[in-house]
Amino acid sequence: MKTMTERKDDIDLDLFFAAAREDDPAPSTDFMARMEAQALAALPDPAPRRSLWSHLMSAVGGWPGVAGLAAACAAGVWIGVVSPDGINTLFLLQDNALGTIGVDPLSGFDLAMMEG
Amino acid sequence: MAFDAHKECMSTLGDDALLVAFAGGDAGAARELTQRLAPRVFSHAVRMLGGDRAEAEDVAQEALLRLWRAAPGWREGEAKVTTWLYRVTANLCIDRMRKRRGGPDLDSVPEPVDEAPSAAEEMQNAARAEALQGALNQLPDRQRQAVILRHIEGMSNPEIAQIMDIGPRAVESLTARGKRALEALLSGRRAELGYEDDD
Repeated sequence: MKTMTERKDDIDLDLFFAAAREDDPAPSTDFMARMEAQALAALPDPAPRRSLWSHLMSAVGGWPGVAGLAAACAAGVWIGVVSPDGINTLFLLQDNALGTIGVDPLSGFDLAMMEG
Repeated sequence: MAFDAHKECMSTLGDDALLVAFAGGDAGAARELTQRLAPRVFSHAVRMLGGDRAEAEDVAQEALLRLWRAAPGWREGEAKVTTWLYRVTANLCIDRMRKRRGGPDLDSVPEPVDEAPSAAEEMQNAARAEALQGALNQLPDRQRQAVILRHIEGMSNPEIAQIMDIGPRAVESLTARGKRALEALLSGRRAELGYEDDD
C-alpha cells in the first residue's frame, strides 16, 4: 500500500535489490569442482619439519661452522695433551722458563673467596 | 573421523587464517576457502559482467588463482581476504568490459521482458532481478560496482571504499548517482514490472 505522500512514479529500488539478492547466481557443481582442483594444484609444498640436528647446524653456521668448531676443539685437545715445553723457547731471552713464570694456582683473590 | 574433525575446525577459522594454512600446504584449508570464496567471486563477476556466466567463470578462476599465488606472502590480519578478492575480481571484470566495448555491447543486456498483458501478473523476483541487471549494465563501471557492493552484496561503505581504493564519501556519491540512474531506467518499465497493481 502506498502512502499519500509517495509519488505515483516512485520506484522502490529495494524491491529490486532484494530480488537480485534472492536471485543469486549460483556456480555450477562442475565449476566448483574445477576450482577445488585448481586450489589443490596450487597448494604450496608443506614446510618440512626441521630436526634438532638441523637447528644446531644452522645455529653454528652450517658445515663451515661445524668444521671450524671441530678444528678449534682438536687444537685445544692437542695443546692440552702435548707438553707445553716448547713454549719455553718464547721466554728464553728473559731467562724465564714456564716453570718459573710463577703461575699461582690459588691467587690471593681465590683464597679470599674460599674464606667466605 | 579425523577428516571430519579437521573440516569442522577449518570452518571455524577466518579467511586470513585459512589462507595462512593454505600457504603451509593444508589441503583442508584449500577446500574450505574454495567453498567459501568461489561462489561469492562468481556471483559478483556475473553481476559485474551483465549476466555472462561463462565469462564470469573465467574471471572467478583467474581471481582465485591470483589469491592462491598471493597466499605465501599473505600476512594474517594485514588485509581482508574478501576485500582483496572483490577488488581483483572487479578489476578483471572492468578490464574485460573495456576490451569488449569495441562497439555497443547490446548482446549482454537482457532483452526487455515480454510486454504481453499477462506480464504484470507473472512478474516474479527473477524478472525484477533481470530488469535490475539490465539497468545495472547501463551504468558506468564504477557506479555499477559501487551499487552492487552496497545494495546487493550488502557491504559497508568503508569496506567498499577499500575495495575501490577511494574515500567513503566518494562511495556515497557513486551509489547515490547509481541509484538515481537506476530509478530513471526502471521507472520507464513500471508497467512491465507490475507496479501498476501495487497501489
